[in-house]
Amino acid sequence: MSKQKRDAFSGLLNWLENGDDALSDQMQDTLSDDERAANVPLKKASAKKRKKKNADARRKKNENETAASWTDRWWYKLLAAALCVSLIALLLFAALRLPKFGGAETLIDSDLTRFYVEHTKVETGAMNIVTGIILDYRGFDTLGESHVLFIALCGVLLLLSIYGEKDEKLRLLADARDRNFEPKNDLILQCAARILTPIVFVFGVYIILNGHLSPGGGFSGGAVLGAGLILYQNAFGYKKIQRFFTYKTFRAVSVCALLFYSLAKGYHFFTGANHLESGIGTGTPGDILSGGLLLPLNIAVGCVVACTMYGLYTMFRKGEF
Amino acid sequence: MLEWARFLLCAALLAAGLFFLLTALLGVNRFRFVINRLHPAGIGDTLGLLLLSLAAVVYAGFDQVTVKILCIVTFFWITSPVCTHLIGRLVRETDKKQFEAEAKEWKS
Repeated sequence: MSKQKRDAFSGLLNWLENGDDALSDQMQDTLSDDERAANVPLKKASAKKRKKKNADARRKKNENETAASWTDRWWYKLLAAALCVSLIALLLFAALRLPKFGGAETLIDSDLTRFYVEHTKVETGAMNIVTGIILDYRGFDTLGESHVLFIALCGVLLLLSIYGEKDEKLRLLADARDRNFEPKNDLILQCAARILTPIVFVFGVYIILNGHLSPGGGFSGGAVLGAGLILYQNAFGYKKIQRFFTYKTFRAVSVCALLFYSLAKGYHFFTGANHLESGIGTGTPGDILSGGLLLPLNIAVGCVVACTMYGLYTMFRKGEF
Repeated sequence: MLEWARFLLCAALLAAGLFFLLTALLGVNRFRFVINRLHPAGIGDTLGLLLLSLAAVVYAGFDQVTVKILCIVTFFWITSPVCTHLIGRLVRETDKKQFEAEAKEWKS
């Protein structure tokens, strides 16, 4: 074992025993050896002292828990209760005034709504009017939304990723942190995941593909797919999921999906920004292969959302796919 | 007569479901330790949800939607206990000191 690795392991053990205080010690790699030798024992001592102090404070807090704080005043409780009751009353009142579900004429109260209800099915070929609106009439908005998701993930990648990390210690620490806090090889979870993951995946794909026919679409279906990926990863670990979903897959899928959407949208601007133009006809409304570009766009949005969901999860968990 | 029986059954199921959800809410807020809190939380997600869904089934009658509702209930009955188990295991692994202290207190 090389010296560097041995150092890393000793630091790791130290961290496992002493918790996060030792981690800050680990981070001081910029110091020279002499400085570190002078610094570390001092730091350790201070860490121990700090720990003791924390424990003392905790004990004191437990003793003082019954003592009065400002949340125990009578007016605070009264105000909290009054706020809750008035909120509940407000929501119930609003729920009473909602239009009847499925009523034929309850929704049409403005020209815009009437236009959408009358024209969406003919012009976009979508049975689900909502999909017709968000992917055709307001496709630019949806494009921005998928980019917002992607940019959020980019920020998280910049801050938390351990790719290209030259320091072996940080990698090992991330590994140890992961191994320490997550239950590994949990039999109950694995049994449940074995039953549920296929169903979840199929259901997600169904929601995406059926987005222009029934309630659903790219966003909700993508969220279901991402949840399925997270479940699989949680139950079976990184090694199993890397057989079909790695950093490369993630990059390829999300970038391709976003590029496709952007190109389609750019073409639509180029042709006058009237509709989402495409060579594909609208087909018969109600068929699975209908609605022109709606189905491919739904698939693109679904891919982006699924990748982002899983990416956020795994970045916050370990910093690596 | 049949309508009344159905209405009463639906109301009873609804009340029972709400009761269990209320106990879950109270329990989660009143207990002080994670493991103790998990117990009422699990009740709300399984029994409360089942009773409320049954109330919906009785109210709307048996048709295609019933199958969907039963699917949702099955899904929750599989996932919710697993979640509870995982949180319990996580607590046991990460907060050993507190866990043992609580266990001792409950044994005595």
